[in-house]
Amino acid sequence: MNKPLLIFFLAVVSSAAFAQTLTDGLMMKKGNLCTGFMYMHDQWEDYWEGTLKRDNGNIGKITTQSLVWAGNYGITDKLNVIAMVPYMKIDASQGTLHSMEGLQDLSVGVKYYVFRKEIGEDDVFGVFAAINFSTPLSDYSPDFYPLSLGTHTTNIAYRATVHYKYGNWFANASAAYTWRSNTTLDRPAYDDGQDFYETDEVKMPNVFDAFVSLGFHNGPLQVQAQLTQMNTLGGGDILRQSMPFVSNKMNFTKVGALVMYYVPMVKNLALRGSVDYTVAGRNVGQSTTLLAGVLYTFQFVKPQPE
Amino acid sequence: MLSVISCDKDLTLTEQLGTLEPTNIDEDAETWASVNLDTYDVTQTKIYTAAETAVGPAAKIFDPANDVASVQNIGSASYQSELASIKDMQSKLTGEQRKAIEYWSGGGVLRWNQILRGLVARYNLPPAPKPDGSYPGPDAENPFADPNFPFANPPYAARAYAYVSAAQYEALKAAWHYMYLYDRPSPYKNDSGVKSLMPETDLPSYPSYDAVMSGVTAEMLKLLFPTAVEEITRKAAEQRNAAIWSGRASTSDVAKGLALGKSVAGLFTTRARGDRMGNSGGSKPQWQALADTAVSNGEIPWVSLEAPKRPPMLPFFGLRKTGVSTGCKAWLMTDNDIVNNRPGPPPSTASEQMVEETKEVKYYSDNLTRERLAIVHKWADGVNTYTPPGHWNDIAAEYIRDSNFSEVRTARAFALLNMALHDAGVACWDTKFFYFNPRPSQLNNAIKTGTGVPNFPAYTSGHSTFSGAAAEFLSYLFPEHSEYFNDQALEAALSRMYGGIHYRSDSEVGLAHGKVIGGFAVGFASTDGAD
Repeated sequence: MNKPLLIFFLAVVSSAAFAQTLTDGLMMKKGNLCTGFMYMHDQWEDYWEGTLKRDNGNIGKITTQSLVWAGNYGITDKLNVIAMVPYMKIDASQGTLHSMEGLQDLSVGVKYYVFRKEIGEDDVFGVFAAINFSTPLSDYSPDFYPLSLGTHTTNIAYRATVHYKYGNWFANASAAYTWRSNTTLDRPAYDDGQDFYETDEVKMPNVFDAFVSLGFHNGPLQVQAQLTQMNTLGGGDILRQSMPFVSNKMNFTKVGALVMYYVPMVKNLALRGSVDYTVAGRNVGQSTTLLAGVLYTFQFVKPQPE
Repeated sequence: MLSVISCDKDLTLTEQLGTLEPTNIDEDAETWASVNLDTYDVTQTKIYTAAETAVGPAAKIFDPANDVASVQNIGSASYQSELASIKDMQSKLTGEQRKAIEYWSGGGVLRWNQILRGLVARYNLPPAPKPDGSYPGPDAENPFADPNFPFANPPYAARAYAYVSAAQYEALKAAWHYMYLYDRPSPYKNDSGVKSLMPETDLPSYPSYDAVMSGVTAEMLKLLFPTAVEEITRKAAEQRNAAIWSGRASTSDVAKGLALGKSVAGLFTTRARGDRMGNSGGSKPQWQALADTAVSNGEIPWVSLEAPKRPPMLPFFGLRKTGVSTGCKAWLMTDNDIVNNRPGPPPSTASEQMVEETKEVKYYSDNLTRERLAIVHKWADGVNTYTPPGHWNDIAAEYIRDSNFSEVRTARAFALLNMALHDAGVACWDTKFFYFNPRPSQLNNAIKTGTGVPNFPAYTSGHSTFSGAAAEFLSYLFPEHSEYFNDQALEAALSRMYGGIHYRSDSEVGLAHGKVIGGFAVGFASTDGAD
């Protein structure tokens, strides 16, 4: 690709650019709103009961389908607000357990471009900080794993991200510490796998996650390979032949790939697809997650002429 | 929005035990009647005889004809040295020791009941299937293997609560008998230098009733939950130590109490080994015979809905056949009482009523509202929980605590409640396996459930039977709260239909049957001399 063409494509990309998530190194420009819907399909059959990998004929395959509304608005070029609302449905392919569905958690975060340094002609190093708040939008039960929509907790995540762009290649690393509130069950006592409690309130361990991606932009195409690691900082294992419990030590390592395509015919329209596969885990299913989304960027503030 | 979130994650436990200060010490508890239906039962005569008879090289625990004067001689050098050692210990109590005193001041019977509920929950895990699709059985002789022994399912749990509570009750009545016989006051009354760090009562202290309780409970728990031996013995030792550290008992009070507790536990262990629980699992041909009987009666027989199919849960825990002694021994009901009060048959699987009842369950399955799911989960009491009998102990505990009963009266409340719950389990399992009726999801596999389908026949509902029995007995004990107990029992019964795992008949007939069973406990309680 010759240089003028590359500059042209980068210009297209940056004008339509939107931050995918809190974990990446992209920002929306001031006054721009990138919004759309994503469909997620997550399925597993094998799971880790503690560290023991197994399947279970009483549930078969667990499938989670989500329709997620996502929005990312540029308050300034350096400060973005990102929000998400998922509607979920979870069902089991075997056994008698009833499916669960409903609105899960509203997530609202702000992301700040803390530091930016241009190195040479095309290379950029950036540091981002984000804080994300999430809270349940419905009264779903956290006591019906693996069919619960979630933990029914209010969470606050503190995240730092570094991003390095080298020509049309980039590398991204992000880590977060998530504080989770306690959650409440519909029953007056429970065993969390470690101890027995005479209360309906469950102490929820906090969570650490790390996310690394490597990728490149090529014209309207962005491709990246990604690795996600999540560790729950406490909690017990699923007991032998028992149901999972909301405060279990849920850990996983996922590898995946993401493709974003800016539709050339329609300005500001992007398609997004990704796949993630769980390669290791503890008290979670070995899931394959497929995601497909359509996102559109509205420009409420005319870009300043360069 | 942030302001509504508390960053404090400390849990507030709902069953707080303050310091137990009984309104009445129940001086006459030794006269309260023991259950004495047949030769199985552990009577006061058996207990006194065991305590006053030398067994092999072991001396008699008590020898009232010869040792009363020496026990009462508080000036003796040996007793004085016991008092000196208490004073020494009290002079250097650690924070941990003070916490132990505070913990056991909440009441020993209530504390052990909480511990027992936790043990049941931890051990209430069904065996996992083997790769060939068969299920290994827990082995009492090899309890640490996978699956752990025991699988504390509802019948096992009901029996465990009953044994622990009944043994505690009889042991405490015996303690009261010997305490007043020897009539030696607590160390803090015999020596003003000994501090009293637990509430003072006029109860004598030889033998120490705390030690009696520690001995009888630890022995019963070791029998029922052998792999928890370490924490059981640690808790029991802590209870005895707290009695000494608090100035309530001396080492000889405690030694005699421990011996008496163990002696009573021995009698209950003998009963447990002979109560036919060991036969309750049955064998493959016996399970097939249950299905064949249902088929010969023109009914669709129950089948396991688990994958792989699991043998039914303890099918011979209850089942009585006329003229043959089968099924685990009950406490307050004879074999004839169980057979005579067995509910009539469920609607035939071929009947129009069964079609209608299945439709009703399907409706609740299709309309599992959040409100109903909360009721289903409140009462699910399934795998890894303290089971429905444990839930009713949980409910009862707060009323018992608030009544400020003496330890022996607290033990009576739990003993009769848990005997009723055990008998409810036995009688319900008799009914279930007599009729061998299928679950709703077996008749219509579109019925999805809000909790796991229990692996045994539907008719009658165990939850309903347990709840009816408990509500009936608790209504006798706390008549001013009768309406609450009955509302809770009805909610528990209906929760099973809301969850899609029981028909209305199962719940309604089970609840009524449970109340009849609870009536046996009420009948006993109203004539045992305690009220």
